[in-house]
Amino acid sequence: MLTRCKPLLGTLVEITVPEAAAGAVDGAFAVIATIHARMSFHADDSDLALLRKAHPGMTVEVAPETVEVLRIALDFYRDSNGLFDVTIGRELVRSGFLPQPEGSIWSRHQGTSADIEIVDDYRVRCHKPMLIDLGGIAKGFAVDQAIEALQAASVTEGLVNAGGDLRMFGVRKWTVGLRDGDGAVRTSIALADCAIASSSNFGNRRKRFGRLQTPHIGADRLPIAIPGRVSVISERCVFADALTKVAIAAPDAAEGMMKHYAGKILAEPCMGWAA
Amino acid sequence: MTRFNWATLFSIPAIAASSSAFAADYLTVAEAQHILVPQADGFAAFPVTLSPAQLAQIRQISGVPQRTAQPRIWRATVGGRLAGWVIVDEVIGKHEYITYATGISSDGHVLGIEILSYRESKGGQVRDARWRNLFRGKTVRDKFKLNQDIPNISGATLSSRNVTDGVKRLLAIHAVALAQAR
Repeated sequence: MLTRCKPLLGTLVEITVPEAAAGAVDGAFAVIATIHARMSFHADDSDLALLRKAHPGMTVEVAPETVEVLRIALDFYRDSNGLFDVTIGRELVRSGFLPQPEGSIWSRHQGTSADIEIVDDYRVRCHKPMLIDLGGIAKGFAVDQAIEALQAASVTEGLVNAGGDLRMFGVRKWTVGLRDGDGAVRTSIALADCAIASSSNFGNRRKRFGRLQTPHIGADRLPIAIPGRVSVISERCVFADALTKVAIAAPDAAEGMMKHYAGKILAEPCMGWAA
Repeated sequence: MTRFNWATLFSIPAIAASSSAFAADYLTVAEAQHILVPQADGFAAFPVTLSPAQLAQIRQISGVPQRTAQPRIWRATVGGRLAGWVIVDEVIGKHEYITYATGISSDGHVLGIEILSYRESKGGQVRDARWRNLFRGKTVRDKFKLNQDIPNISGATLSSRNVTDGVKRLLAIHAVALAQAR
């Protein structure tokens, strides 16, 4: 097997394939680079920037991939009773986890996912000002798209790992280490032909006006601090990625969604949830 | 929606990992050179010593300090003519160094970025000088793999910000030291 690694999606992305399939890796990285360019919160020419610059109610033309991610995000918004909300950008800018976009003031962006309308496969309309951030879902989506690109290039097995959100295909069993909230890897599991994503915020917190801030937002749009790590296994990485966010915000709601998304939660033992 | 056969997935019991330190080597310098400038038929080391004025200029352009006055640069050629540059550089990752190679075109555009090697340790080991010394003086040609059976880690996202900043710095090196070279 051969592994290459590139800085994309704000993290390091690894692609592993058999030596004979080395030629397919560039195409898979290109797919990820496109998603990175369209869905970056930071870039000024991404689809997210177009949506945030448009006046409320205006129809905006975006990449079909962006529409697909938003569709999945809206499904999660509904299924989680509003806990999973990509308009989290407002909270993340306020708490300093994301930079303030030029010419916008976070407090004016009051819209929620309920104000997003998908017109068709290429067009989206936001009915209120909002700051969409796809940080909780786009990495998983990019992993799925890269896997599809490898399969379309007739690669028989492989693994794509976007900074800890990973998926593998083929008959091979892979050993995957689970990094706990404190950064240590204490557990490894063997997996085949599935996706796994993990989230924690122990090492990613800050204080603002004496209040603890984390990049995970739960009920009433308040930050949630958890002591450990939550991992979710599913058949698609986009589901695993998004489900970790729900599992952090509301373990009970997440358990209810697991059946629908063929998911399974593996929590750090100290979290007290069934692994 | 299709169902997983969970029994198959978990037929191998969870293994307790004994150590959290690991390193991954992805590409050698030579492999990275051919990926970054595929049309090139020659890569020659291009020794450059940056003057204090150039170092200051690089910091000003990129916003990050250039720590070594002698960056590792290769000149890529096609039939002897300049086809681009490959610079191998290191930035600090979450805890340890990330070695990466960047291809830059003769007119100063990024052709590609490849991570060559990546090392990390668990939090407690970072300040342990003995552990750090394991890596000191290693070059990307050295193969040193710890816990090679667990290269795939699912966990908190590692930021690539330092690599992105590093690439800006390499573009500044190109601007002050390579743009006029032929």
